[in-house]
Amino acid sequence: MTLTAERVSMTFGGLVALDDVTLAVPGNRITGLIGPNGAGKTTLFNCLTGLYAPTSGRILLDGRPLAADPAQAMRGGVARTFQNIRLFPGMSALDNVLVGRHTRIKQGLLAALLHGPGFRKSEAAATERARAELEFVGLGPEGHMPARSLAYGDQRRLEIARALAGDPAVLMLDEPTAGMNGTETADISALITAIRDRGIAVVVIEHDTKFIFSLCDHVYVLVRGRMLVDGPPATVRTDPRVIEAYLGATECSK
Amino acid sequence: MLVGALLPWASTVLPGGAYPDRATLQFFDAPHLVSGFRLHLVLLGVLAALLSRARKPAGIGVAVIALVHMGFLIGLGAPSIGGPVALAGGLLLMWPGLTAPAPELKPPGPAVARLVLLVAFAALVWLVSETLTAGGQSRATNPYGGAEFLAFCGLVLALACALSAYGVLAWLAALTDRHRFFAFSVMLVCALALPFTDAGTGYWMTVASTIGVYAATAIGLNIVVGLAGLLDLGYVAFLGIGAFTAANLAHVVPFPVAALAGTATAGILGIVVGAPTLRVRGDYLAIVTLAFGEIFFRAAQNNIGGLTGGANSIPGIPPISMFGHAFDKPLGVLPAGSLYYAVTVVMVAVAMVMLVNLRHSRTGRAWAAIREDEDVARAMGVRTGRAKILAFLVGSMMAGLAGAVFAHKLGTVGYESFDFSESVTLLAAVVLGGMGTVPGAVVGASLLFVLPEKLREFSDYRLMLFGLALILIMRFRPRGLVSS
Repeated sequence: MTLTAERVSMTFGGLVALDDVTLAVPGNRITGLIGPNGAGKTTLFNCLTGLYAPTSGRILLDGRPLAADPAQAMRGGVARTFQNIRLFPGMSALDNVLVGRHTRIKQGLLAALLHGPGFRKSEAAATERARAELEFVGLGPEGHMPARSLAYGDQRRLEIARALAGDPAVLMLDEPTAGMNGTETADISALITAIRDRGIAVVVIEHDTKFIFSLCDHVYVLVRGRMLVDGPPATVRTDPRVIEAYLGATECSK
Repeated sequence: MLVGALLPWASTVLPGGAYPDRATLQFFDAPHLVSGFRLHLVLLGVLAALLSRARKPAGIGVAVIALVHMGFLIGLGAPSIGGPVALAGGLLLMWPGLTAPAPELKPPGPAVARLVLLVAFAALVWLVSETLTAGGQSRATNPYGGAEFLAFCGLVLALACALSAYGVLAWLAALTDRHRFFAFSVMLVCALALPFTDAGTGYWMTVASTIGVYAATAIGLNIVVGLAGLLDLGYVAFLGIGAFTAANLAHVVPFPVAALAGTATAGILGIVVGAPTLRVRGDYLAIVTLAFGEIFFRAAQNNIGGLTGGANSIPGIPPISMFGHAFDKPLGVLPAGSLYYAVTVVMVAVAMVMLVNLRHSRTGRAWAAIREDEDVARAMGVRTGRAKILAFLVGSMMAGLAGAVFAHKLGTVGYESFDFSESVTLLAAVVLGGMGTVPGAVVGASLLFVLPEKLREFSDYRLMLFGLALILIMRFRPRGLVSS
């Protein structure tokens, strides 16, 4: 399964957030998306997951256009996490994951009211799957805990488990290691590789270039709304334009 | 600490001096008789002396009783000696503030667990019956009814705190959760047995079934506010829509059809109100629903379409009648009104099952997700608009059904039963009881609709006391009396 953005532009009033961006996410690969702050990375994510309708251009999932409707994107197999953790804080970890599975559960309202055998079967299957995802990200024993009382790193993992529960073909991670130390970053790195090994394409936004270059199969560099360079990590790392964009930006901010 | 434990005892001995004749509270009229206030204080004193963990709860109870007692004596223009002494005793008992956490009790085997649940619910019904009847029916029969009732509440509060301090309440909750079906059946049977207790008179049955109607409505509101997090300030309008629909149809069709029609009409209007509010959230949603409630209220007041009777209200609604028996007549040994009580009990039970079942389903989780973070819920594939309309639909249908029973039970439906303060009271019931919890709405509704009945002498201060109670609850139990 491939997710592609075809010449996508997005403007908010007079502000051009994305300008003619084209990107392809092949299955079974880890794709990195880097760029300075305000480059439009999260806006691109929002377009790819159906939260925003691009001003022009198309989002295609396996060649079929994807409507600007997150429910349809989830059903189609595009799931995501958020830059600043956005769990359902008052719900248990398990219920958070079950909400991630929302589009895959078939239950009528009447069945939900009466709790018949069919309902119980579907509920048991969903719960089993949700538990398996919690186990997968390393939160097996934490299922009953309210999401808000989990440790910071565990909350990041829970967000990933919630996204995985929707049976995604493409998993989009918005800064999964923000605010983590070296050990935790390495753990997340291993987790992302394990997700790829399940046959799920992963897209990662990160500021930590070392993390991106060691993890990704292909890297896109977005600067001020435009796709500057893309290619394998080794080429991108040494590209003079990337170095200028990054170091230049760093110099300016000093 | 020992002095503290003994002080409430002292207070039972102290009074008995020169009190005016008017002060004929049981506390004084028979210096050596152990009953009423005195009995409560003695019980709490014994509790405090024997059980170390129960000292603080006993102190709270003693303080409450002493305050009530003093307040009433001052109201009667009499000084109180025993009161301040008991208050001091209560405060002293509370002072050490035993902070040891409640012990965890092991769950027993299924047979024992069932027996315990049976006893617990039977005791609960007995307690409800005693609470209802404490202090008599009204001021006319017992001038100290309010004081006796409040003092009894103090005792109940102390007992509840004491049980909680020993971890018994948490243990019972765990048992209920484990044997959910059994517990629910026992609860239903026990609730239906209320007419056989002290509360089994026509008067108390009427009060109890009114509470039942409001409890069912509060559960419906709990779906909208507690589960889906949609603040609805005009909710009582749906109760009114159900009531007026049933009232208009009462002479034409039998009750079940009228009830169904009331439910359906309220449901349709729930969608009509819900659909345009999909674009507004939080405060704005509250304002829109408030406006809807007001539109309904004014329309009913002005008898628009001739459907509400306006200021004349709709009188002469026949009682529910089935199998040739009118529900407002006594049945065998059962007092009049018992059948209405049974209807409302069944209605509340159905509403409870609905709430629990919905909460543990895909729909219920979607509502919770919308309540917690609507944008993320949408990003996770929840059709938020559809889910919100569904919440409005289910909630308003519940209120519509309750309204139909309400109309038949009262025999008269007037617009003034559905003003803004009723919406606020229902909302307060949900918040007081505990948002999103099942017993919460019932406990909240019972409190808020029993208290005014019990404390008629305070009716001028009703809203002030409401406010005070809300502040106290928010301070000490921010997640409601029965938090999940």
